[in-house]
Amino acid sequence: MKIGIMVLEGPYQHQAADSAWHFARAALARGHQIVGIFLFADGVNNANRFVNPPGERNLAQRYEELAAQGVPIVACTACAKFRGLKPDLKMEHLQLSGLGALAEYLRQAERFVTFGD
Amino acid sequence: MLMRKAPYGSVYPAEGFRAMMGVAVFELQLCVIFLDDGVYTLVKGQNPAALDMKPLGDGFPTLPDIGIKEFYAHDRSLAERGLAPEDLVLPARVVSGSEIEGILAGCTSVLPF
Repeated sequence: MKIGIMVLEGPYQHQAADSAWHFARAALARGHQIVGIFLFADGVNNANRFVNPPGERNLAQRYEELAAQGVPIVACTACAKFRGLKPDLKMEHLQLSGLGALAEYLRQAERFVTFGD
Repeated sequence: MLMRKAPYGSVYPAEGFRAMMGVAVFELQLCVIFLDDGVYTLVKGQNPAALDMKPLGDGFPTLPDIGIKEFYAHDRSLAERGLAPEDLVLPARVVSGSEIEGILAGCTSVLPF
């Protein structure tokens, strides 16, 4: 099945970014396709390559690894601007793009799942 | 598109509005359902100047211009907040919870904000 995902929360403050990552991994392990993960609102903070939690799981790194495996992951450009996430601060394999990416994931996905409050 | 939260106090309704505009221009068909505190986003005469924010409600009447024409407001959410259809910035169709279930069942995707 083709699955699209939207993440509305940043790392650590809420469970959503963790849950979305676990969901994506589990879906891939079962042979599903992730058409894309759209990081929206505070979700863009999961794209920050300077996330560095001492002794804890690194969520930005986890998303980077998913993207490096070929899962399209896009952080909303406007939301990134609101939060000072400049392009050179983002993880290598994550992209900055507009709501067109969200529209495209919605168009491609047979199921679309949002993680947020 | 599900609008569930009060217009101010969190960024979700503003981002929901932005997502509506952003997705609609790519010619995806959208309907918008307002429920719980989300019905407040449609109230006329919002003035959040003291919050240093812009009134969110003003934008909704422009959405039909970009092809969004289906608006629903949950009857109980309106009633519990003392709101009537004439208090809203656009003519949303007032629907029950079970009608909302039917509308959602007919959607390919649901985006909750």
